[in-house]
Amino acid sequence: MLNYKSSIIENKKYSGLSIKEISPVMKLNLRGKSRDFLSTIGKNINMILPIEANTSSSSDKYTSMWLSPDEWLMVSNNIIDKENNNYEIGDLLFNKISKTNLGAVTDVSDQFVLINLEGEKVFDLLSSGCPMNFNKFKEKEGTVAQTLLSQVDIIIHHKKHNNVNLFVRRSFSEHLFSWINDAASRL
Amino acid sequence: MFIINCPFCGERDQSEFKAGGEAHIERPKQPTELSDDEWAEYLFMRKNIKGVQFERWNHAHGCRKWFNMVRDTSNDEIKLIYKMGENPPIE
Repeated sequence: MLNYKSSIIENKKYSGLSIKEISPVMKLNLRGKSRDFLSTIGKNINMILPIEANTSSSSDKYTSMWLSPDEWLMVSNNIIDKENNNYEIGDLLFNKISKTNLGAVTDVSDQFVLINLEGEKVFDLLSSGCPMNFNKFKEKEGTVAQTLLSQVDIIIHHKKHNNVNLFVRRSFSEHLFSWINDAASRL
Repeated sequence: MFIINCPFCGERDQSEFKAGGEAHIERPKQPTELSDDEWAEYLFMRKNIKGVQFERWNHAHGCRKWFNMVRDTSNDEIKLIYKMGENPPIE
């Protein structure tokens, strides 16, 4: 089900900032509240969903991001093999969670576009279009925030030092990408 | 512009939030027994006072959760923020 058509045509490089799209990546939206939900997810992906606000947790294969007290975004750390195009974990979780009414598992792989920003000017760029204060956010690795960037809803994941993943809805991605390029050229 | 302390996400800018009107409006227990005037009172009539007001807010561009806020409408001072379902403070 992965969409291979890239919404971003070329990767860009500026001094202190490089911008690229990472695709295809599996993305699942997980919703649920009960203890059973959390333990079933934990058993099947071998990691615990982050309970603390604005944090994420990672295993070797997946990263889970806290979105709200009952909502998480789970993404694969590596790109999915284009040849066989499957990610069994999605079906497995759907059968164990959605079918048993423990919660909801929704495949949002094609809904979100993953834009990776890297370089020492990452937070200068984000600050120029974001109402959020990044002082605390950039101190820790693994922090997550949902906010607005140039009036577009985004999920920001602080992956590593000066390396940030942006998740943006596909229909907004081209607009946001051109805004990022415009803003980056003025830094 | 002011900063709102979302009970789930922490301090965020006001532009991420949507106001949801007056809080703690209870749905009438027997709607069929109400007159049209009383029903309109429940549906449409809001206080909109100058001063301390109880409001609902939604962190629309963040965690998408609703919460309650006590705000002074004359100077936008936020007195208190508490979660949905919690009882309003008596002032």
